Amino acid sequence: MTRPLLRLAGAGKDYARIDTHAGRVRLVFDLLRGRGAAHVFRALDEVSFDLAAGESLGVIGENGAGKSTLLKIVAGVITPTRGSVEVHGRVGALLELGSGFHPEYSGLANIELAAALLGLAPAEIAAKREEIVAFADIGEHIHDPIKHYSSGMVVRLGFAVATALRPDILITDEVLAVGDESFQKKCIAWMENFLAGGGTLLLCSHSMYHVQKLCRAALWLRDGHVERYGPVAEVTQAYLAYHEEKAAGSRTPVAAPAAAAAGIYAIQALALEPAGPLAPGASLTVRGEVFSPDDRVPVVLVGLVRADGTPVYGVATDMDGAAPQRIASGRFAFSLDFASLPLLPGKYLVRAHALDPEGVRLFDHVEQSFVVEGETRELGLVRIEHRWNGAPPGRSQPRS
Amino acid sequence: MSTVNRPLGGTGPAIARARRRALLSNFFRRELFSRYLGSVTGLAWALLHPLALLGVYHFVFTTVFRAGRMDGRSFLVFVAVALWPWLAAQEALQRGTVSIAGYSGLIRKVAFPHELIVYASVAASFVLQFVGYVVVLAALALFGESVHFEGLLLAVPLWIVLGVAVTGLALALAALQVFIRDVEHVLMPVLMILMYLTPILYPLSQVPAGMKPWVAANPFGYLVERLRDALLEGRLALEWGDAVAVLVALAVFAGGRWMFLRLSPHFEDFV
Repeated sequence: MTRPLLRLAGAGKDYARIDTHAGRVRLVFDLLRGRGAAHVFRALDEVSFDLAAGESLGVIGENGAGKSTLLKIVAGVITPTRGSVEVHGRVGALLELGSGFHPEYSGLANIELAAALLGLAPAEIAAKREEIVAFADIGEHIHDPIKHYSSGMVVRLGFAVATALRPDILITDEVLAVGDESFQKKCIAWMENFLAGGGTLLLCSHSMYHVQKLCRAALWLRDGHVERYGPVAEVTQAYLAYHEEKAAGSRTPVAAPAAAAAGIYAIQALALEPAGPLAPGASLTVRGEVFSPDDRVPVVLVGLVRADGTPVYGVATDMDGAAPQRIASGRFAFSLDFASLPLLPGKYLVRAHALDPEGVRLFDHVEQSFVVEGETRELGLVRIEHRWNGAPPGRSQPRS
Repeated sequence: MSTVNRPLGGTGPAIARARRRALLSNFFRRELFSRYLGSVTGLAWALLHPLALLGVYHFVFTTVFRAGRMDGRSFLVFVAVALWPWLAAQEALQRGTVSIAGYSGLIRKVAFPHELIVYASVAASFVLQFVGYVVVLAALALFGESVHFEGLLLAVPLWIVLGVAVTGLALALAALQVFIRDVEHVLMPVLMILMYLTPILYPLSQVPAGMKPWVAANPFGYLVERLRDALLEGRLALEWGDAVAVLVALAVFAGGRWMFLRLSPHFEDFV
């Protein structure tokens, strides 16, 4: 089948900008005469992409970049102002919390409404109901009004409904962020299964981890237009790099006079050696300078975290009985060697924190990112020395 | 200009029709339950309410005002025949106008034909008020008033004609209400004034000759006269005016729906 399941060509959406009462009246007249609004906010502009059956596309971007507008266009909730949308399949949309549940009605009543919205006959609804209730796994609460549900329960029910109806295209918007860990895993497992079975996914998420795990292509929206569209690794890396630049801009080390005025211990400089990408198992040196407002010797804490914020390892000078060296009044230098980093390939951050001499109060921190290059199918964060036992003699391959 | 093409996504004729039916019945049940039937005494209320209203009118007009006979019938039955269709129209317009707001969550997140909301709301008002109408007529007959029940053969189509016209008005008002919140507040006094300008509490024959053409021009007044013909006189013969009433109702419906469909794609941003 060559025809894509979903095709957007130059799609754009304008929202009317209305601030006065007279403006609303004028808008009604403009709309009735078949004209657009006079003053508009361009929420989305010139978005084009194809999505074939079995493909998965991640939509990423900052808040307000137009992600929700794009998903709403695909879901049919709004009609684009410009361009065209073609959808050749059943769309299951899970937009925001609740995806259109009525708060006063019970979970079961809402399941029936959701099914009716998708055009299922009463007999089909009855058949699906048990499956949905089982997947949502919220027990007796299914008989309670939705307004008494926790946000996690609403998402569980929403996901259960959207998935039980076996859509051709599943659209989800930031829903994975809400449920608890075990439900998230269940959702991801379902989505992987759905993709393996030829399903098509349009995922909107701030979690690069989920996007990379579930999508093969990604679309980066910025201020309503497509900043980048292509293979997922390429686009997410560009997006993360953009964020690092932004973060670096805002996280410039606190200037010494400012730190002195505020009376805080502050990291003044942080550098990594080597500066470029590392090979797995390579060594890394972290050097920096720290300011002390009262000239006492501060404690420095250096941490390694994965790009998504998962901590890997952290150690402070006072834990090892070490101390930064005084190089001038109120200025101290530190240097830390990691002889061989067992990190698996990926993107990481070095985070240096300045603490008071007692090692109790945590002040400012500064970050530097680095990349461990390479290809591996191993899972997790670090390579742990291991050996498989029971292999035929002579073929055992100890690995380190 | 933009184009949207969703062959299977909701506009395939068979799927779309099934979907509209299922949704409409879901919305309709929801509207009914949210008014009376949700409470334990729900059904009883649906019956008691019109009877209580009838009792109050009896007290005010027959006991206090001592209103005489009207066109040769008791005042109470004369008013009741006209009042309930008016109550149905009034309630349908008021509830229909604000009906969209009750579904704002759905409109923002799910694609579906928004007009179904208004249809369900208007239909619920008409069904409940028609039940009340029949209860009131039965009560009046029990108390010895002469009611021609065979007149329902004409009364039911007349109610439907009224319902079609009211649906058209409700569509237009509901769409306007999304953008201009004053509509519901203006509507109340307007309906109040219209009620007194319609020959509900008085017969057209008592209106001074100079003003008669103006009062007679009220299309609702025409339906009221026809209902009295049918239920009080037992006259079932059709008139030319009935055909005009049907055409007017269809035109109002078409106009209201056109307006609604023009505005509804933009609801998502304003509800």
